[in-house]
Amino acid sequence: MASNYVIIGASLAGATAAITLREEGADGSVILIGAEREPPYERPPLSKAYLRGEAAFDKSLVRPLEYYKEHDIETILGTRAMRIDSSARMVELEDHRHVPFDALLIATGARNRRISIPGGELEGIYSLRTVQDADRIRAEMVAGRRAVVVGMGFIGSEVAASLQQKGLQVVAIEPAKTPLFRVLGEEVGQTIADLHRAHGVGIVLEDTVAAFEGTTRVASVVTKAGLRLNCDFVVAGIGVEPAVEMLEGSGIHIDNGVVVDAYCETNVRGIYAAGDVANHHHPIFDRQIRVEHWQNAIKQGAAAARNMLGKHVPYDEIHWFWSDQFDANLQYAGFHTKWEQLVVRGSLDSRNFLACYVNDGRIDAAVGLNRGKDVRRVMPLIKSRRTVDLDRLRDESVDLRSLQPAD
Amino acid sequence: MAAEFVTAMKTIEIPVGRLSAVDVRGTRIAVTNVGGTYYAFDDTCTHEQCSLAEEGDLAGTTITCTCHGSEFDVRTGKVLAPPALLPVKVYRTRVQDDVLQIEM
Repeated sequence: MASNYVIIGASLAGATAAITLREEGADGSVILIGAEREPPYERPPLSKAYLRGEAAFDKSLVRPLEYYKEHDIETILGTRAMRIDSSARMVELEDHRHVPFDALLIATGARNRRISIPGGELEGIYSLRTVQDADRIRAEMVAGRRAVVVGMGFIGSEVAASLQQKGLQVVAIEPAKTPLFRVLGEEVGQTIADLHRAHGVGIVLEDTVAAFEGTTRVASVVTKAGLRLNCDFVVAGIGVEPAVEMLEGSGIHIDNGVVVDAYCETNVRGIYAAGDVANHHHPIFDRQIRVEHWQNAIKQGAAAARNMLGKHVPYDEIHWFWSDQFDANLQYAGFHTKWEQLVVRGSLDSRNFLACYVNDGRIDAAVGLNRGKDVRRVMPLIKSRRTVDLDRLRDESVDLRSLQPAD
Repeated sequence: MAAEFVTAMKTIEIPVGRLSAVDVRGTRIAVTNVGGTYYAFDDTCTHEQCSLAEEGDLAGTTITCTCHGSEFDVRTGKVLAPPALLPVKVYRTRVQDDVLQIEM
């Protein structure tokens, strides 16, 4: 039985793994290593309630700091892990300490893509991943100021909404035809554009930032199409990439993150990965999938811990996330990249619908706007991989639970 | 003020499996009926203030707040799944004739 459990990344995935290890009987040492100084915390509030000043930071902590001590979880915070020696079974930290392991979890997460265009080094240009990032943006958030948000993925859209809600004048720029276009497609993306416009966000679509201008601080954003948007600050949300550089030379297979099997294990025995960094084999969709979701961090962190304990349980969770923007609650479940049919239950125009991404008569994924119940109820249908009666799926008088497969 | 049982609604209004919300002395309380046993708890989810009677899905004695997926045990108010961290307050219930009363 392993006795030294080491986790790199004091993230939601990493902390959940540490907690699960202890709750499910790990009897050796459990060591949680994190580059950030804070105890592990949840990031969803950073673009929403925390950013708007409505929720204190300690509400975001996965557990109070004392918890780790009480449960004999050693935390090494504010210290970056630099290297893994897979054959010597050892992690090297930035302070040159060596931490030996019998089982290792990589939960290093992702980092924001940097914007590399002229003027990108000016002051007043932010991205959002950590609580410090959120604090820097909060310090700029004074009602009446002008903000430009670059990118209308989930983070950009949520930040744009939060800024607008705090009384700032917001313009958001997105290269695609609609916000969230890549994941949700044009029809659903259009509903999000309408939502933002209805609340006063200016939206510039099918255009990209060519340059930031200003002397020391950003004063305007110039787009490829030639728009010049004066602003007091900029928030860029242009996506993330998995944080894998410390794995160089480790022999661990990297391809769009750390490649793991359905048991969260890498090609190196005893080394696992979970959370944003893990590109995992999903047994239900029978393909590699890497997602950056809150729920995946928890569920996969726990699943990896169980496998580190030798329980050999596949991780087959249906991925799910939410995004609150203004008064709208968006939820997505499943996994899809393309779709033959978009089956809509409800009304796109009234922003009250469940839209199902259907291939071969099966629901691969679904997105709901203000349809939490429908999203919950469609998840078993996604998981079943069975064909469904699309007319009944569309029919609002049919309870989705009645479409469940019999077994 | 000493706790006392306060009339909330007629039991006929709350059949098995149903969730309903009622204002009792200024507090919004969710009520449900699990196999003939009535449970009462604060209607407001402790995560982001959704109404559990409106947004909740009930399975057995577990209520899922479908806004963000938090799960609570309706018998104890205990959190069964995050993102909620704090339990919902539960209230004792009793039936007098055809009336459901909640201890406030």
